[in-house]
Amino acid sequence: MIFNYIKIAWRNLVKQKLFSLINITGLAVGLAVCMMIMMYVTHESSYDRFHKNAERIFNPHVGFKMGGTSVNMAFMSYAAADIMKQKQPAVADYNRTMAYFKPVVASNPEKPDSKYSESKLLFADANFFNFFSFKLVSGNASTVLNRPFTVVLSEDMSKKYFGDENPIGKLITLKTDSAFTYQVTGVAQNNPSNSSIEFNFVTSNLSLLTMKEAKLYTGAKEISFGNFSVYLLLNHASDTVALRRSLDLMAKHDKTFDNVHYYLAALPDSHLKSNFGDSSNTKYLKIFPLVAILILLLALVNYMSLSTARATLRAKEVGVRKVAGASRKTIATQFYVESAMFATISFVLGYLLCYAFKPWFLNVLQLKIDDTFLYSPTVLILLFALLILTILIAGSYPSLVLSAFKPVATLKGKMGKSTGGVVVRKVFTTLQFAISVGLIICGIVIDRQLYYFRHVDTGVSRENVVMIPVHNTFGNNYLAFRQDVKSLSGIESAATSHYPMFKGYDMNQFTGKTKDENIMLASLLGDDQYIKTLGLKWKYAPAAGEKLAGTDRIVINEAAIEKLHLPANPIGSYAQSGNQKVRVIGVLKNFNFSSLQSDISGMVLNVEPDQYLFSPRDGCNLYARIKPYTNIPTLLQKMEAIYKKYDKDTPFEYTFMDDAFNAQYKAEDRLASIFSVFTYITIILATLGLFGLAAFTIEQRTKEIGIRKVLGASLVSINTLLSRDFLVLVVLSITIASPIAWWAMHKWLEGFAYRITISWWMFAVAGLAAIITAIVTVSYHAIKAGIANPVDSLRSE
Amino acid sequence: MSKNEVGDGSTMIKITDLEKFYRTEEVETIALNKLSIEIKTGEFVAIMGPSGCGKSTLLNILGMLDDPDEGSYVFNGIEVAHFTERKRADLRKHNIGFVFQSFNLIDELTVFENVELPLIYTGVPSAERVKRVEEVLDKMQIMHRRNHYPQQLSGGQQQRVAIARAVVNKPKLILADEPTGNLDSSNGNDVMELLTDLNEQGTTIIMVTHSEHDARYSHRIIRLLDGQSVMENIMI
Repeated sequence: MIFNYIKIAWRNLVKQKLFSLINITGLAVGLAVCMMIMMYVTHESSYDRFHKNAERIFNPHVGFKMGGTSVNMAFMSYAAADIMKQKQPAVADYNRTMAYFKPVVASNPEKPDSKYSESKLLFADANFFNFFSFKLVSGNASTVLNRPFTVVLSEDMSKKYFGDENPIGKLITLKTDSAFTYQVTGVAQNNPSNSSIEFNFVTSNLSLLTMKEAKLYTGAKEISFGNFSVYLLLNHASDTVALRRSLDLMAKHDKTFDNVHYYLAALPDSHLKSNFGDSSNTKYLKIFPLVAILILLLALVNYMSLSTARATLRAKEVGVRKVAGASRKTIATQFYVESAMFATISFVLGYLLCYAFKPWFLNVLQLKIDDTFLYSPTVLILLFALLILTILIAGSYPSLVLSAFKPVATLKGKMGKSTGGVVVRKVFTTLQFAISVGLIICGIVIDRQLYYFRHVDTGVSRENVVMIPVHNTFGNNYLAFRQDVKSLSGIESAATSHYPMFKGYDMNQFTGKTKDENIMLASLLGDDQYIKTLGLKWKYAPAAGEKLAGTDRIVINEAAIEKLHLPANPIGSYAQSGNQKVRVIGVLKNFNFSSLQSDISGMVLNVEPDQYLFSPRDGCNLYARIKPYTNIPTLLQKMEAIYKKYDKDTPFEYTFMDDAFNAQYKAEDRLASIFSVFTYITIILATLGLFGLAAFTIEQRTKEIGIRKVLGASLVSINTLLSRDFLVLVVLSITIASPIAWWAMHKWLEGFAYRITISWWMFAVAGLAAIITAIVTVSYHAIKAGIANPVDSLRSE
Repeated sequence: MSKNEVGDGSTMIKITDLEKFYRTEEVETIALNKLSIEIKTGEFVAIMGPSGCGKSTLLNILGMLDDPDEGSYVFNGIEVAHFTERKRADLRKHNIGFVFQSFNLIDELTVFENVELPLIYTGVPSAERVKRVEEVLDKMQIMHRRNHYPQQLSGGQQQRVAIARAVVNKPKLILADEPTGNLDSSNGNDVMELLTDLNEQGTTIIMVTHSEHDARYSHRIIRLLDGQSVMENIMI
């Protein structure tokens, strides 16, 4: 029996090529999108679960108040873990890691000429490979890191530096603050893509302790925030409540900050839940599944709509089968089998599509997902569940409709327009267009908001400014470097800043009217060329001849005047910063020094003498403004040559300030790219659906069209007649989608301090796009039916 | 014998005061008006009358494709007038074969597969199905066309396939709705000969027709007008 069903389903598929194509591709595209998003979401929520003890490993975080601002720190002091273990019986073991914050230069001493800049050097306690479940390809997990200057390489690094040789026992040089030679004691599998701990090289903290710079990281002797990610292995996962309470008790003795509280984040949660404010990941995780469901729903609706539209063609068959003895149940089963076949073909095609477009999708999201993860049991089970769900839904409505046909009517060819769920199909079409129109509106709003971001006047002249990070490896050569760069013919001006623009700032604490009032202001550190190079504008310029640099003076922005309770023109006023009284020597007009997502806050610019700006730990940043019409690639080559003169090992890196500015909206940019693709897909799906539906509806009206033509109807009037019904549905869908899209985008825009207003034309454009698409689609069939010879259509009746 | 094949052997069908209405919002049409008919096992009955007299409605009710609004319908001693759809389908597939004017073959199935269909629904095992289908195709002289699709056959051949499909399950009753309506006179005569043969082998046949010529093949003609039996002719 099943064989008979499959046979007839296959013959129908082949016979109705166009509709089979529409049906299968539509569903396949929907499924492909669904699969991609499913893999992405599953990958995101699978982070760190591969560790054997994942459920018992916790990250302590510390939260406190500093000058009224809440601060959360995920990194702890070196001593913290040890003290916690000694004082807290719940803690069974711990591991501390520190990811080295900048690239290191690596080389094989046997081939000293090939040096590479590498990232992901991880310092960790010696038990790293026992504590976590990273797999070693060679080496003993218990001993690989128990001596200083031993290193475990990832498989990629092993291959890069030692080729196919066995690297165990060989040497590798890694240059941190100075060059150190390490002995390779193990090779580990590359860390899985769903690991929040990443490494190319793992060496022990024992190595770190012998380095000069270690004092900067390991100084604190008590529990406080610091530079280490601390992982505590608890005896029982349920010990967290008690542990948190006793950590808080310990914190009460800490007088430095107010309201110190500890948090314990489970390791598997650390990827998604502890990103303090950076919600781009979680934002996607909320939006994407919704989009996936909408697209799948659209594709399924398409399938059901087309299948029931075809019902009229199958009605005779249903009648014959019923007369030959089929019950409603057997007919329903038959159409379920048929749907299952269509769904399975679509599923396979969808999987191939998903596989083909995966690299693109991951690239847009800037993600890496291991191939092994894609074939893991979890993903395979989810894919199977998706297939079953698709079959169940796709088959439901068509089998319900088709099995209900009365043989008496269908065998006489009396399949009127009222059969086959016309109302339901109209609802389907409206739903499809509503989803499309909604997504178009959202796409337009997102696009406009991003355009606004890129083009709004932020008060900083950010074009043609290149930022070059200079590392501590420069030693005393920074000033000479800056002088050399300045003297290049293409450079207009050059300035020194502690941080790269838009990538960070410090916080300065000021005392308010009373001793207890702490005021926190963002603090930028730069030299006296900073203001000129960035093109910042004065609100109140300093007095003529006043020197900008000095620790006893500050420049503030307009927003800081009120914050610091200063007079309207505060030039010459004093503010109390820590123990020092500082004089306000100038006020800058407000400018955006961080993301446009937030308002401009109070800011103080500490102009410092050159010798203070280059930090022995972090180095500094050189900002160089390039003259207009300069050949930029040549200029950059010249800069690189100068850079290499002072530091030949560290790679020359640069960022243009406008790129850095745009990079702040990466999350939104990615959202926009993905959104536009999803929008196109939904439009294509809705159009396919309408195309199929129109074909059948018009086919049913062939006789009517013939009679009208005989009576003198023109092509235009026939097209109008046939398009009108569909246009009503599209207009209805615009009416439904608009308020929903408005609401969703209104909510989205609320997340930005600088935002566009949603205007009527965005709805008009989306609506018009839908109407034009519908008219073109329907007209194709309408015109085809209109130019057909009426004699043929009338004879066929 | 299947469980549904019960009866006294002499009266197969007895309908009494059968009524059927078609209602729209404004009009109520009476298709069958207190119609009473009795048909004996082994009879060949023709039903005639002008368009709209209720012939097809009667045939659909007799074939259990439709149910009456009022009255009684006893088939082989069982009152079936108010059977559920499932029960009717069950009784139908074991006892009744249909032949239509427009053949109603499934275009996507071959001749063999079309004829096999009723056997699939009555759960006949595969090997037995092949045997029975081949037997009946042979009898209808269309064995050589077994792997063709309906649209590759002439009208007469299609109707023979349809008759083969109607008789493959060895039904007690064949209902034919203008079986020669779409055929030329030569093919039409062939079909009528086939039906006569089947009747002579014991199958009861009820045929709706407009053709006096075809009606002459039957034992008895029931003439309907406005849903009522107005005359019965016994053929000699």
